[in-house]
Amino acid sequence: MLDLAMLALVVVCFALAKAYAGLCDDLLARPAGEDIAP
Amino acid sequence: MTSIGWLQIALLAATVGLLTRPLGGYLARVYAGEHTLLRPLIGSVEAALYRLAGVTPEAEQTWYQYTVSFLIFHALGIVSLYALLRLQSVLPLNPQDLTGVAPDLALNTAVSFVTNSSWQSYGGETTLSYASQMAGITVQSFLSAASGIAVAIALIRGFARRRSPTIGNFWVDLTRGTLYVLLPICVIAALLLVAQGVPQTLAPSAEVTTPEGGPQTIARGPVATQEAIKLLSGDGGGFFNTNSAHPFENPTPLTNLAELVLIFALGAALTNCFGRMVGSERQGWILLTVMAILFGCGVGGLYSSEAGSNPALATLNAGQTTSAQQPAGNMEGKEVRFGIAGSALFAEVSTASSDGAVNSMHDSFLPLSGGILLANMMVDEVIVGAPGSGLFGMLLFCIVAVFLAGLMVGRTPEYVGKKIGSPEIKMTILALICVPAATLGLSAVASAVEPGLAGLGNAGPHGYSEILYAYTSATATNGSAFAGLSANSPFYNLTLALAMFVGRFLVIVPVLAVAGSLAAQPVIPRSTGTLPTDGALYVCFLLGVIVIVGALTYLPALALGPIVESLQILGSLR
Repeated sequence: MLDLAMLALVVVCFALAKAYAGLCDDLLARPAGEDIAP
Repeated sequence: MTSIGWLQIALLAATVGLLTRPLGGYLARVYAGEHTLLRPLIGSVEAALYRLAGVTPEAEQTWYQYTVSFLIFHALGIVSLYALLRLQSVLPLNPQDLTGVAPDLALNTAVSFVTNSSWQSYGGETTLSYASQMAGITVQSFLSAASGIAVAIALIRGFARRRSPTIGNFWVDLTRGTLYVLLPICVIAALLLVAQGVPQTLAPSAEVTTPEGGPQTIARGPVATQEAIKLLSGDGGGFFNTNSAHPFENPTPLTNLAELVLIFALGAALTNCFGRMVGSERQGWILLTVMAILFGCGVGGLYSSEAGSNPALATLNAGQTTSAQQPAGNMEGKEVRFGIAGSALFAEVSTASSDGAVNSMHDSFLPLSGGILLANMMVDEVIVGAPGSGLFGMLLFCIVAVFLAGLMVGRTPEYVGKKIGSPEIKMTILALICVPAATLGLSAVASAVEPGLAGLGNAGPHGYSEILYAYTSATATNGSAFAGLSANSPFYNLTLALAMFVGRFLVIVPVLAVAGSLAAQPVIPRSTGTLPTDGALYVCFLLGVIVIVGALTYLPALALGPIVESLQILGSLR
């Protein structure tokens, strides 16, 4: 039972990491004209 | 401090410096897929592995595909290592009949070695079978290092490429790093270690009778092969509980120096590889210079601190000066074979590099020395660092530095020909902020709840330092410990596993995103508005950014631990 719980924890963590990568992908979408150069 | 002590430090610096250029050139050729001396020997093995895995080496990946491959590979690594540890009692190569590892400890250990952390809440010789050590720990040491280098190479490609939608192929980079870089060096290193007396055997522990007539069990096993990759990979997880303080892991002064060189070699060489791939070796030397200055400050401070006497012991008239019976300085927790200099140097290299191997007990260092060890890890393992993670950590600081310089002096924020824009800054800050958030947040929780306090070996500020060190080490994927903390409990096993997960994956995902964003850009020609990043001024600026970002983030936590403990010792003398 504990083994299943541990493995579920691993699956959840990596699912969250993949969602985090998706979030980064969204953040990378550079809006036209945006520039932070001073 | 002695001249022999300084000579050891100089010898290490010189050896690493001499290896940097040839090894950096070799790395650049390996990851570009160019001809190397080993290609005729290993090329067919590499091709066979690609065929077996269904990988087309010419098919490159976008940063997102690269990241997903990276995550899948590591998820499988954790699950397989977890299963191996749990099932070791029914698997072969278990001459000591060790039982399966408990679930929480197995998860902690699996995450630890897959993330290149090597935090060990267990004693290797009494917990893990030979199968677990060889097929689990050693294999993951190879793979975690190869994947770390792969990420660094992907980021370098981001800087080097022009308008490219791809940053390489994760499976190819992983395979090349393992076959062409890690394996050949480890074969040579393992042979050297065996020649110096490190065991390499599948025989069970030796049962002997001591000179007093009592029984003694002497643990041994396939140590040399694990030792070689433990150091080269920046992993640091020892075969024995006492790690490189054990005479079977580190038997002679020569192995001590060789182990230090192995820890630093790849991290330093990757700076040269970076310079070559972006078309200016000077850029690589600049990064290595910054690393060397930080390392020099750390080792100088550590050596002088430990070579001085412990002021609390001085009041008790305890002898702390050089005599026929003892060397001078704080010898508590140190191996007499290595002394103050060898211990201070190893501790500095280990915490600066993210390796985490130890040849002395860091918990016994004087408070300010402990603070230096903490600070090394708190600057995001940029002082050479583990293979790959040191370089990409340093490149993140380079991005912040040119951005801040752009704001301060009106220069265009660009680095090695790539414009640093809003997307790159967002990703860089994400990568840099998650480590202190996890470190400080989890340290605060552990300092406040009963399961966290239950593991403490000391009360007061030193106890807090033990907790802070554990989470700092975990998020920095370092793995060394203030041994006073009893971390083999469900609370620490799970929270430290979380810290290692955050420190590895929540950093690497945005790093790869930066790589993808940069690779898609054109190269901007250098202009009068470009901040020069290949001179002394930039070295100073980058140093300032690293120190200020690290210091401002962690200073309050350091003040509560090592700084207040040091003041307490001084106050008690009045």
